[in-house]
Amino acid sequence: METAVRHPDIKKILTERGLDGCGRDIWTKRLEEIKPSEVEWALSRKPGYYVLDRLLLLVSPAAENCLEQMAQIAHHLTLQRFGKTIRLYAPLYLSNFCVNDCVYCGFNKSHQFPRIRLTIEQALADAEIIAAEGFRDLLLVSGEDKNFITVDYLVTLAEKLREKFSSISVEIYPMQTNEYAKLFKAGIEGVTLYQETYDRNVYAYYHPQGPKADYDCRLNTLDRAASADMREIGIGALLGLSDWRLEALAIGEHAQYLMRRYWKSRVSFSFPRLCPARDVDEKQFSLISDKNLVQMILALRLCFADAGMVLSTRERAELRDRLVELGITRMSAGSKTSPGGYSGKSGAVGQFEVDDNRSPAQIAEMIKSKGLEPVWKDWDKAFTDL
Amino acid sequence: MDELIIAGRKFKSRLLVGTGKFASSRVMAEAIEKSGTEIVTVALRRVDIQNENDDMLAAIDRDKYLLLPNTSGARNADEAVRLSRLARAATGINWVKLEVTPDPYYLLPDPVETLKAAEILVKEGFVVLPYINADPILAKKLEDAGTATVMPLASPIGSNQGLKTRAAIEIIIEQANVPVVVDAGLGLPSHAAEAMEIGADAVLVNTAIATAQNCAEMAFAFKLAVEAGRIAYLAGAAEASQKASASSPLTGFLRE
Amino acid sequence: MERLKVNGVEKEFSVEQFPATVAELLKCLNIEAATVVAEIDGKIIEREKFDTTALSKGQAIELVRFVPGG
Repeated sequence: METAVRHPDIKKILTERGLDGCGRDIWTKRLEEIKPSEVEWALSRKPGYYVLDRLLLLVSPAAENCLEQMAQIAHHLTLQRFGKTIRLYAPLYLSNFCVNDCVYCGFNKSHQFPRIRLTIEQALADAEIIAAEGFRDLLLVSGEDKNFITVDYLVTLAEKLREKFSSISVEIYPMQTNEYAKLFKAGIEGVTLYQETYDRNVYAYYHPQGPKADYDCRLNTLDRAASADMREIGIGALLGLSDWRLEALAIGEHAQYLMRRYWKSRVSFSFPRLCPARDVDEKQFSLISDKNLVQMILALRLCFADAGMVLSTRERAELRDRLVELGITRMSAGSKTSPGGYSGKSGAVGQFEVDDNRSPAQIAEMIKSKGLEPVWKDWDKAFTDL
Repeated sequence: MDELIIAGRKFKSRLLVGTGKFASSRVMAEAIEKSGTEIVTVALRRVDIQNENDDMLAAIDRDKYLLLPNTSGARNADEAVRLSRLARAATGINWVKLEVTPDPYYLLPDPVETLKAAEILVKEGFVVLPYINADPILAKKLEDAGTATVMPLASPIGSNQGLKTRAAIEIIIEQANVPVVVDAGLGLPSHAAEAMEIGADAVLVNTAIATAQNCAEMAFAFKLAVEAGRIAYLAGAAEASQKASASSPLTGFLRE
Repeated sequence: MERLKVNGVEKEFSVEQFPATVAELLKCLNIEAATVVAEIDGKIIEREKFDTTALSKGQAIELVRFVPGG
């Protein structure tokens, strides 16, 4: 008797493709051998068509001369699928306490600085300020601070926030499915979690201890979130830890896996790029150039026509202004990356330095100047809340 | 050519053939032979107790071909489930092509009853191959229910119109975790090739072969078309490029 | 006279001629058993049991076989 149909598993997919670090040399060699004529094939495919080979060609060094062509396709494809709009969101940092020791992060537990956790009231105070700027889309962020930023805390906070914000998502430590289900019920509809790097060896180096050292648990987190019906799932790698081209390939496979299995959720890509943070030694990393960043964004957009592409305020203003026309669909504005930052708490340390300090109003103006409409509120729960 | 795998079982041929509408069992057998197929569909009907018909299916070598019973005639989930159980009792094979067609004109499949029947049959251990309209959401729901494939129609049964539902089938192929078998309405070998070129895993053809002037030769033509289409797909066929009107340069800033 | 419904059609048998088993019914109707599936009052009867499954008057029997189809 034939066996029942089984879903593939993302760990297995990455291992089989050699994209979790084991095939590093093979892929690197392959990328270098790609010729410009091969890139032509990738460019001529239907926009939004994804197979690993296509993405490989688009992120290859050989494709670096085709960026303008890729940009034109990406620009028009994004217009077609998303219209002339850019969604705006604000991050709300709840705590910079953390039990992990991530080498690259400002919140690393070894770093000495005054740590802050917001009470529910303090969080709401920051949220008020954010709402007053016009935002209706909020991202709750925290270090790995399970004892304080508990499921109940988030549920309570979300239930109060949902009156003001039509879209609430979280970028916090990995949870179990039943915990995500509670968050979903409370009004949180999106989960973002970066694998940071898909290369297991590199991952082990940068996350030496703490819960985050568990690569596998982290990799399956978005499965758990999507199983709890989370509508938006955000993935990405921290660019600068490892070879960005290989990360892009792993991201492509991860995205296709999630889209096919959790077909009711929307997958988004983010592009956090390593940049200076307090107490973090820059010389340890493989920082990527603007050109690399652009190529990665374009390559993924060409392969995934309907994925969200998110840009944070880590990037400097002039670059963000350009990226807005290259496939980005959602961006933050006026971000404060330290808890209580909006209420003006002084001395608090941010997770990373914000490079675009323009106010939300200024960002909105910039978006309009490009012929696009800034969208503050994209999803009205009034229609589905019973 | 790469193998087709359905429910863990491997097949060399990506052409499935239906046995209906042939003039005689001899012609049917010849066509099946020339098609190179490994899976043929059959139906279940009440025995005509007034006349003893010759058994057309005696001509099919059961060791060579997998007999895939369909539930044609079923107009709702209950009837489809009943037919499936009868088919399994007859042969011990637990594969079934699920076909629920309440509309007698176009024989279009009922999505609601199909999903309902699929859920029951999967639980009873059947390998279910559901025939559906080219509805991407329905395809995902059937996959979630555990069907072994999805079988979207290209155009109504017997209409020979080709891939009228191409755009939707492309979406199904993009989103599917199970093999996609394009079934119904493929009237010419070129239609079958087209389905394979856009990435279908297999096709099912019946009317176009059975009603041709020379059935065996037509079956052979379909065999070649399916192979050609699959090879082209794997070879990375270029597509008509979509020229977008160029806007002003977008990446000039990188060179500054 | 005893009745059986076969494939929706009422059939009458004299008491002596009434088929005792499914196998006898098929013989009486001149139907090859090898390719047939039988249902009695909605319950499927396996082919191995044709010889041993008794029939009683008033039952509804469905005899179904594989035929060509798409």
